[in-house]
Amino acid sequence: MLGYAIRRIIFTIPMLFFVFTVVFFVMRLAGGDPTYVILGDQGSQEAVTQLRLKLGLDEPLIVQYVQALKNLLQGNMGESIINDRPIAPQIMRVLPFTIELTIAAILIGLLIGIPLGVAAALRRNKMPDYLLRVFSLVGLSTPSFYLGILLLLLFAMQLDWFPIIGYKRTGDLWDRLYYLFLPALSLGLGKAAFVSRVTRSNMLERLGSDFVRTARAKGLSEYKVIYKHALKDCMIPIVTVSGVYVGVLMGGAILTETVFNRPGLGKFLVEAIAQRDYSAIQSGLVFYGIIIVLVNLTVDLLYGLIDPRVKYE
Amino acid sequence: MLLFDQKAQAAFKQNKAALVGLAFIVLILLIALFANILAPYDVRTQDIMQRLRPPSSHHWLGTDEFGRDVFSRILFGSRVSLFVGVTSIITAMVFGVLLGAYSGFKGGWIDQVLSKVIDSLMSFPSLLLGILIVSAMGPGIRNATIAIAVAYIPRFARIARGPTIVLKENEFIMAARACGATDARVIFRHIIPNLVGEIAVMSSLWISAAIIIEASLSFLGLGVQPPMPSWGMMIKTGVDALHMAPWLAVFPGVAICLSVLAFNLLGDGLRDLLDPKLIR
Amino acid sequence: MTGLTMETILQVKNLSVIFNTFEGKILALDRVGFDLFAGETLGIVGESGCGKSVTALSILRLIASPPGEVTSGQIIYAGKDLMTLSPSAMRDIRGEKISMIFQEPATSLSPVFTVGEQIAEVFRQHLGLKRREALEQSVEMLKKVNIPEPQMACRCYPYEMSGGMRQRVMIAMALACNPKVLLADEPTTALDVTIQAQVIDLIKQLQQDMGMSVIYITHDLGVVAHISMRVIVMYVGRIVEEAPVMDLLMSPMHPYTQGLIDSIPKLGEKIRGKKAPLKEIKGMVPSLLNLPPGCKFSERCRHVMDLCRQREPELMQIAPGRLCRCWLHHSKGENST
Repeated sequence: MLGYAIRRIIFTIPMLFFVFTVVFFVMRLAGGDPTYVILGDQGSQEAVTQLRLKLGLDEPLIVQYVQALKNLLQGNMGESIINDRPIAPQIMRVLPFTIELTIAAILIGLLIGIPLGVAAALRRNKMPDYLLRVFSLVGLSTPSFYLGILLLLLFAMQLDWFPIIGYKRTGDLWDRLYYLFLPALSLGLGKAAFVSRVTRSNMLERLGSDFVRTARAKGLSEYKVIYKHALKDCMIPIVTVSGVYVGVLMGGAILTETVFNRPGLGKFLVEAIAQRDYSAIQSGLVFYGIIIVLVNLTVDLLYGLIDPRVKYE
Repeated sequence: MLLFDQKAQAAFKQNKAALVGLAFIVLILLIALFANILAPYDVRTQDIMQRLRPPSSHHWLGTDEFGRDVFSRILFGSRVSLFVGVTSIITAMVFGVLLGAYSGFKGGWIDQVLSKVIDSLMSFPSLLLGILIVSAMGPGIRNATIAIAVAYIPRFARIARGPTIVLKENEFIMAARACGATDARVIFRHIIPNLVGEIAVMSSLWISAAIIIEASLSFLGLGVQPPMPSWGMMIKTGVDALHMAPWLAVFPGVAICLSVLAFNLLGDGLRDLLDPKLIR
Repeated sequence: MTGLTMETILQVKNLSVIFNTFEGKILALDRVGFDLFAGETLGIVGESGCGKSVTALSILRLIASPPGEVTSGQIIYAGKDLMTLSPSAMRDIRGEKISMIFQEPATSLSPVFTVGEQIAEVFRQHLGLKRREALEQSVEMLKKVNIPEPQMACRCYPYEMSGGMRQRVMIAMALACNPKVLLADEPTTALDVTIQAQVIDLIKQLQQDMGMSVIYITHDLGVVAHISMRVIVMYVGRIVEEAPVMDLLMSPMHPYTQGLIDSIPKLGEKIRGKKAPLKEIKGMVPSLLNLPPGCKFSERCRHVMDLCRQREPELMQIAPGRLCRCWLHHSKGENST
């Protein structure tokens, strides 16, 4: 396990560089002149020159890249074009909100998805199974931001059970959870739909397998056979699949934060895009990339803990 | 070809869900093609006096903030979703499959390098990659399509590469090469036909994902630009006016869900069809 | 035959099992019945699909309920019919009084638990031992099945072990609670020949040490000769012959049994100075969906008569301890019930 962990961590470093490099070069190369992006064609010659100087755009591209990299490693992500304030602290301030949203969504997805998948596998081709397949198909076909809107309309506006704006500036833990609930649910249900499918198909496979037959032949209770033996073997593919899905979740979080008016990295990015804040967009995307790489690393390490083949290499 | 023989067609007909999906897709296609005939109003017709009206007999799904008919805009919006969804995925398919098959076939260091690059690109969620590319290139339907295509090229490459590696060890491949067939010929005539099934399944499922991404990009203002209607964009304006006119956000969403559902059903149906465990 | 009393430990009566498949109802077992005596090894032989595994699984009521269904039968153990037991009572029997080992040790052990934990589970479930005690007992069991370095082995995962070792683990699991009956479903078929011999000998030895009865299922007559005392031959879901092992091999009654014995290649056998060709039983096992009327072996039998094609013979006792389902011997026997 230790060897595996070290190898994974070491591999993450080039990945982080890769993310930064891709974002940097795509924005520079695919996007035309940054000054055009920022100022449009309204910019006076003077403004353009000033901006070029400020952003160091007259240097060769490689030099710019290295400089940006150096800055990044020192924690400096430049200043926002719009309000001239440093970007890094802005991001760090809103980051926790996005993280808590994503984690909550993952938990909801697993807590709803896994039991549903197991229930469907146990009652194959009967009512619960059909219901689940319909639910998961609909859940997969509904964009999470749309689901958020529907939940908002129903539970917040119509029924008034939940608040409309997704956060509260001050407040204790309960408040935070209360405001977190609907946004996390809208993201989490999509994940639940996905997880329930994976769980169902994996459980069906395990339930017909030899080792489950052996477990029954040992006289174990049905409960132990299903949860201790069959389900535990399913956890590996479920964790793997969830790891892939986290990227999708983070993408969805961007939109959810907009729908629910929650602060977070997503809202930051959306505003930066609306204001054509070049530096902020770039930094925001780099940050997203970094987080996703780190999340993937965490999932891989988690995977190492679960799968005995990896654990005891 | 495996996909079209008698037995396969019979089995496909038995799979009701897939048929429903296919029927739906045809329906959407027809709507997209004939939107200008089906829509009661032009997309641009504004009527400020009638703005933000709920559904009525004049305007079946209500009107938006400029008094434009929502129903008509939804019908025309299908063009955008279908165009972006299908074009981006087909583009990605062509480039991705060639890339993946080539990489798998060649093996060696070419494969090592290419597959590392492919895997790294795949760690980017498609939406974020889409946002990156569109932010850089500028909004618009063309760039959104390109962005989505780029996001899915690695995915197609991956599903093409795996089977290629297995297939190239098969004897009929070696026989073909022994007859002097060029690499390209072997890949096109022998390997790719075996990939068709898997490619068809994933294409359908990824078209539905592409539709969602396009809607998301438009929601963020990065996709199609006004006055061209896009379902995602319509939802965004709906969110802004959620108190007053919830229907503006709800109806375009239904359209998205139905289109995505259609492609998902088709994809699932194809997948069941091709699953070796289910072949009688 | 020390320790062999005529006490009946297990009685299978009139067991019939069907499977509901896409193509129709398949009768996998047709009124199968036999007795198992204390301390003996009963071999069940037959080709794939003849129903031998289904018989064993039915005893422990492990037949998957769709699509399988036990349509009739009684399994008498310790004076009770297992078919009538509640699920929890049945679970008390499984692994504790009647145990089973399976053919594929690789897939029959859970991949996510250590070998020690899996054996310990049996102790904890049936004897209520605490975790540490159960693990200690697991080490003892591993010793009994001759696994080297049992302490270390206990902490291994199944994927780390060879096929032979995994099968020993299965045996350890099955024998942990000293069951009266062991059902062994082709335990050595998937193993290398040299390992096969070791495992078979192990089972023999453990049987003697623990005084239990064994039902040993196999398609290999050689193995049957080595390990069992009595043999049942099954064909297409029915018993066609039952006899003590030597009698069966020296003077088989049923043509199918004869065919099985003949088809074993014999080293150095010559006919008219040339190497003898392999003898086979002509024809193929009939499909369970399309069984011929009358005797099910009639289409392949060397001695087939008109009667055979019309009516299926009953299983008759031809001599003490010898049963046969064949019109050739019918006149000599009485109906066995």
